[in-house]
Amino acid sequence: MNFSEIDVAIIGSGPAGMAAAIKAKEEGAEHVLILERQEQLGGLLHQCVHNGFGLFYFGQDLTGPEYAHRFAEKVRDLGIEVLLETMVTQISPDRKLTAVNSREGPLHLLPKSIVLAMGCRERSRGQLNVPGTRPAGIFTAGTAQRFVNVEGLIPGKRVVILGSGDIGMIMARRLTLEGAEVRAVVEILPYVGGLTRNEVQCLHDFHTPLLLEHTVTEIHGEQRVEAVSIAKVDKDKRPINGTEQMIACDTLLLSVGLIPENELSRMAGVELDPLTGGPIVDQFRETNVSGIFAGGNVVHVHDLVDDVSWEAEIAGASAAQFARKEKLEKRRRIILKPGRNIRCVVPQAVSAQNDVILYARVKDMEENVQLKVGDIFAQSLRVVKPGEMLKVNLSHSQLSQLKEDIVEQIIECERRRYDG
Amino acid sequence: MAHMETEVLIIGGGVLGAAAARELSRYKVDVILVEKEADFGWGSTKANMCIVCQGGDTLEFRPEYHRSKLVWDSMPLMEPLCQELDVPFKRVGEFTLIRNNEELGKFQKLKSRAEKLGMNSHKFLDQETLRQMEPNITREAIGALFDPNIAIVDPVRLTIALIENAGQNGVKVMRETEVLGISQKVNQFEVETNQGWIQCRFIVNAAGTSVDKIARLVNSDDFVLYPIRGYVGILDKNLGGLIEHEIHMRPDVPGQMNILTPSVHGNLFFGTTMQPAKRGDYSTTRRIAEIGMQNVRKIVPDISVKDIIHSFAGFLMFRNWEVGWHECVVQSSRKVPRFISLCIGYPGVSAAPATAREVVELLRREGLTLEGNPRFSPYTKAAPIFSELSVEQQKEWIAKDSRYGHVVCRCEAVTEGEIIEAIRHGATTLDGIKFRTRAGMGRCQGGFCTPRAVKILSRDLGVKEEKITKKGRESRLLLHRSKELIEAQI
Repeated sequence: MNFSEIDVAIIGSGPAGMAAAIKAKEEGAEHVLILERQEQLGGLLHQCVHNGFGLFYFGQDLTGPEYAHRFAEKVRDLGIEVLLETMVTQISPDRKLTAVNSREGPLHLLPKSIVLAMGCRERSRGQLNVPGTRPAGIFTAGTAQRFVNVEGLIPGKRVVILGSGDIGMIMARRLTLEGAEVRAVVEILPYVGGLTRNEVQCLHDFHTPLLLEHTVTEIHGEQRVEAVSIAKVDKDKRPINGTEQMIACDTLLLSVGLIPENELSRMAGVELDPLTGGPIVDQFRETNVSGIFAGGNVVHVHDLVDDVSWEAEIAGASAAQFARKEKLEKRRRIILKPGRNIRCVVPQAVSAQNDVILYARVKDMEENVQLKVGDIFAQSLRVVKPGEMLKVNLSHSQLSQLKEDIVEQIIECERRRYDG
Repeated sequence: MAHMETEVLIIGGGVLGAAAARELSRYKVDVILVEKEADFGWGSTKANMCIVCQGGDTLEFRPEYHRSKLVWDSMPLMEPLCQELDVPFKRVGEFTLIRNNEELGKFQKLKSRAEKLGMNSHKFLDQETLRQMEPNITREAIGALFDPNIAIVDPVRLTIALIENAGQNGVKVMRETEVLGISQKVNQFEVETNQGWIQCRFIVNAAGTSVDKIARLVNSDDFVLYPIRGYVGILDKNLGGLIEHEIHMRPDVPGQMNILTPSVHGNLFFGTTMQPAKRGDYSTTRRIAEIGMQNVRKIVPDISVKDIIHSFAGFLMFRNWEVGWHECVVQSSRKVPRFISLCIGYPGVSAAPATAREVVELLRREGLTLEGNPRFSPYTKAAPIFSELSVEQQKEWIAKDSRYGHVVCRCEAVTEGEIIEAIRHGATTLDGIKFRTRAGMGRCQGGFCTPRAVKILSRDLGVKEEKITKKGRESRLLLHRSKELIEAQI
């Protein structure tokens, strides 16, 4: 492998990294290199043995490993170079990349362009600051998923799950099928954090108790988890006195949010959006650092793997174009800003010459709203939830309605008015 | 059950027991150190802010008290000790913030009192100088009292290095060995442990939070101790550059404290609220956590709850809570000959070097013969920390053992080679690996590396993955194999 002539370096080989690499290669980048810290291509897809992957991308219902396999085969067929068990430790703003592995030792690369595809990590107990003791038996849902599905090991027999993110709900089902008793899924909000389909298929179908507007107030047990205290919460999410109850359990799983993994991005001087936790990107998925692109969950946490791959393809195509020294045509820059009941939007800026898909997440659940982008787009929606991402297709013609002096558009949810 | 004999038995492998063991290893004396946990420094030693050479706090010490002397005498000993043992030590200096004239007056008094006692290092800084040195701290500070002596260490690494050095010099060390009973015979003790009987002539009781319990086993009740619990939060390394010095602010509420400090590993620690607790209750509470956050935001207003990656309860034993925090226990029993108890309370890590010397002196007075150990070497070499090596050194290590190129903990960039080395040096648990290598101490808190570390432990120790524990005893991480529960139901 010739490390001195890399056109596009891709960091991570999950559903984003592989899609970006394939697209970059197809768009004419000659030397595309994937750097992956695990033993095989696919990132976290290998531990996601459940189905529901690729319904939109492939029009088929696949498991995580199957979804990964399809991309991995293409990576191999296209002759994309891959370094496994390789950890990228540094990226500088001038795209110098440092990595390390057992075979080549410390590696120094200077690719023409970089795609950030590091994905996201789970919020931990420490970040939640859950009070109580520090026994064994507390895991994030994803770590438990790896133990169960990859290592063949079951954390415990009586389980409480804090948070109702998708991985948490999927693990509720998985552990039930393994013979464990999921004693409760405890969610602080009045609705589940993940997809409705997971709420139905993973919790309701198995009669798993779901306690909404509740939280874990204390962890008990000195050596191993023995119980958790839970309580109902008020509107400000604070526990209500007198509602506490103890649930005996040996395991507590946390499914309380995902954080885009951007430590390398920071080192490279990439500007991050505090609302998404990921890089601020334009519709080409270029960051503020020239030649550094990003796609997938590293930019913002998606609901569906299909969107991760699609978004990363945009980054891969742009990176290939940049590596060919072709200027990305950006006629103008219109900043997109979240307005009423919108938590975040990606991309954060668009140019007006192509069709573009906007991804947005709402802050709170709301019924009967009109989703608007300035005056150029409006759509009525019966219900919006933070757990389900909104997608807005803006056409080139809608965007070109905007006068030349307009530099900003607000995306917002308006309460719908009824006529009679 | 084994039956062993030794001259001196040290009970407790925290920083005080470890320092005493290492100090005794300078002499030709048979020493056994027993620790009830699976690794060293897991009591009060790990549960603090990692600050040493405290002069700022000693401003309020009373010189007539023994504890002040041990802390002051330890100040010049700490840095050379860390050098000998290859333990990270950083002299960061301390700012005690001054917010109004009342505070200024109080510190002026304390400073001139300290000067009368021969402590001349404190200096007042004006607001402008303070801002230049620490631009991110609160605008409310009108100045600060600066103590250049304050330093930071990694207390658990220090303890492990002391133990290793003592071991190299002939001390026998036993882990997961809990003292259950002590009977006094003529001129000797018979100590019952879960690993068998140990016969010894002298006992150094450095059992930390159990030091009074151990003393009661020989009916030596010369002192009463009170467990005190605090709260410590650890902030993400991204905030590492926010402050350079240890920052101390006088608490607005009595009984609290308010400290923000860098750690030797690049995180920030903040600590607050010391209050009486139940012995061994290392839990944190929502209220304490909230007070902690409110307090640290008084020092640096930009810090938020989102920056916390981990928190824990600081824990120690204090003597004479009613009369203040002024006295410690470093003494021979009044009733039982050849029985010495140690408990510094706060700051135990800071006082460890001088305390260890005093233990040797107390043993001598109780009749222990001290003859120089010709094999004694004060030096211990720490295992390599891959992420801190130069590129050339990294290449060398990977060439020697390719597993140094395999990063297992992504947040702290800890390699498989380092984990294997930690296991070779005695780590048997997930927390053992964590405290020795920092794998799992980063912002994802082991989310990524836990399955990998369990695999490596299982492979290198030759035990099944289900047997691997977080911290020894009953703290197994994974209770079942796949299909085990289903089969049990069928």
